[in-house]
Amino acid sequence: MSEVVVECTGLTRTYDQDSVPVYALRGVDVSIMKGDFVSLSGPSGSGKSTLLNIIGGLDRPDGGEVVVSGTRLSTLSDSALAELRLHKIGFVFQAFNLIPVLSAHENVEFILQLQGVGSALRRARSTAVLDSLGLSQMSHRRPGELSGGQQQRVAIARAIVTNPALLLADEPTANIDSATTEELLSLLQKLNREQGMTIVTATHDPMVMSYTTRKIKLHDGMIEEDESAVVV
Amino acid sequence: MNIKLLYQLSVRNIFRHKRRNIMLFAAIAVAVAGVSSMNTLIRGFQADMLDSAVSNLTGHLKVYAPGYRDDPSIERSFRLEDGFQPDIPADKLLGWAPRIRVPAVIMSERETRGVQLVGVNPEAESISFLADVPIDGEGLSATQDDRILVGAELARQLETKVGRRLVIITQGADGLNRERGFRIAGIYDAQGTGLEKIYVFTGLARLQQMLDSDAITEISVRLKEEPQKASVKQLLIETFANMEVMDWQELEPQVAAMYLFADGAIYIWFILMMSALTFGLVNTLVATVMERVKELGMLRALGMRNRMVISQVVLESTIIMSVGVVVGLLGGYLIYLSMSDGIDLSSFSAGVEMVGMSTHLQPVLLVDDFVLVASMSLGLGFLASVYPAWRAVKIKPLDAMRH
Ligand SMILES: Nc1ncnc2c1ncn2[C@@H]1O[C@H](COP(=O)(O)OP(=O)(O)OP(=O)(O)O)[C@@H](O)[C@H]1O
Ligand SMILES: [Mg+2]
Repeated sequence: MSEVVVECTGLTRTYDQDSVPVYALRGVDVSIMKGDFVSLSGPSGSGKSTLLNIIGGLDRPDGGEVVVSGTRLSTLSDSALAELRLHKIGFVFQAFNLIPVLSAHENVEFILQLQGVGSALRRARSTAVLDSLGLSQMSHRRPGELSGGQQQRVAIARAIVTNPALLLADEPTANIDSATTEELLSLLQKLNREQGMTIVTATHDPMVMSYTTRKIKLHDGMIEEDESAVVV
Repeated sequence: MNIKLLYQLSVRNIFRHKRRNIMLFAAIAVAVAGVSSMNTLIRGFQADMLDSAVSNLTGHLKVYAPGYRDDPSIERSFRLEDGFQPDIPADKLLGWAPRIRVPAVIMSERETRGVQLVGVNPEAESISFLADVPIDGEGLSATQDDRILVGAELARQLETKVGRRLVIITQGADGLNRERGFRIAGIYDAQGTGLEKIYVFTGLARLQQMLDSDAITEISVRLKEEPQKASVKQLLIETFANMEVMDWQELEPQVAAMYLFADGAIYIWFILMMSALTFGLVNTLVATVMERVKELGMLRALGMRNRMVISQVVLESTIIMSVGVVVGLLGGYLIYLSMSDGIDLSSFSAGVEMVGMSTHLQPVLLVDDFVLVASMSLGLGFLASVYPAWRAVKIKPLDAMRH
């Protein structure tokens, strides 16, 4: 009934560490539907980041296939992958990864500039997004002048300003305190509920899992558990 | 591609490391100022060299009878019609002079020397060094003047002075020797150049009379601008169909070689000054890229294309170079202005005179040289960014997340 945003089949990924093979993913099959709010959890080294990176087109699997919004990623060149990331996927990283020499507003506008959006529309959209995340007061500040939670909100603003089909977050709350974490989570929840944004986030944090509607547990590169909560 | 965005990012990144980049700007500016002001001196040196070459007796162009250069005698001569004027446009011709130049022996009571005896029309010699050389005694007054003008060094060797008589022996048009006494009208001081020992001047008509000839052995032509010589040479070749027409580069091959060498010196000097700097620039740019591995990786992860990553590094390099170059050229110009009265080289005069230069070096600013320095510097800035840009492109998006 719902539209499939990400379709993974038989994903494997093996790293060579000092010529010892490390099996990061050992056959992952998963479909993520439009409007899903997914947490990927599991012990350290279970393959959460690897899976996110492969879904986001930052890394390529050794076996299996990923389809994002109908596009088979294995058919894309590196630059076509970059293009896909630019237009279809929003990223939020653990370290906030804003451009230090640009203000919050400019950081958000930056990605629209990369997309080639005209300046008036760019300004309107980034202002609107920053407002909706409660950042309008500090939009002219540079990342160094913002708290960790504020920086991460700017990073989320940057990730969603392009209206991506998919928002990927790798431990977005790992570096911020629990009060701010709750603030961010309700923000993500709002995006998910009101705009139907599809969100996949890797996390260790039980608080994050309490917000997500679908909880996938990885263990040793395989899906151990995949449970959907009943959406109220 | 969004230039404004790249520009903004580059400028901000440069400001991020103010101190490091100010040092780099300063180094570039000093080098550019050094190179461009040095160029004005080299050009001044060239102009001086050219000026002394064409004003000794060479002129920009000369016409000889065939064979004269191998056997300079009155037999290899030619005649001009009465009232002859060369057919050279007035905007090119500074002046021309007919002369006889023959080998002769000159004798005082004590010494004998071999010289070149030159018959001149003093009015026409405004084109040669005779016009402004300091003279002890009097210069020649007319083509009929039967006195002679000798160089200071020759006078010293002959142990003679103004007003004394000297005997000159030379071969007449009939192949027989003529011997005649001449009174010294004046002694010219050509600042120790070789000219002083070689050239003895007298009136042209007077010398023709002595040689029993109405011919001349050369015409010397002085132009307003050096580059005009090619077209005028062609003109003279047409006018003097059976004569040899030669330009100063053919007549003074050593000076011509020095002149060319000075052209090359401008490039050598530039490369010496700027190559060290280029390494500094490459270093700084690589450091800038390496400091930003995470940031650049993140930009790649978000979908920034290779082209933009490269453009950003190139732009940053170009901005740094441009600022340095502009400040440097300004500095070079100021140095040039401060030298605009010329530089006195008389403390090195012995060495300077040996290469045939005057003791006063007047710098010459050619706009083309400034443009050349600017464009070569920008070219270097561009080259310097190739390797750092390549490093930046090699950064993998995942590097942004691993730390
Ligand atoms: N670039 C790499 N080179 C070698 N091994 C790697 C590389 N990236 C990941 N691995 C290995 O693959 C496995 C899965 O790593 P991954 O980062 O996906 O785990 P994770 O679940 O995200 O862990 P964490 O909770 O610590 O972030 C681990 O054993 C890790 O050491
Ligand atoms: Mg991880």
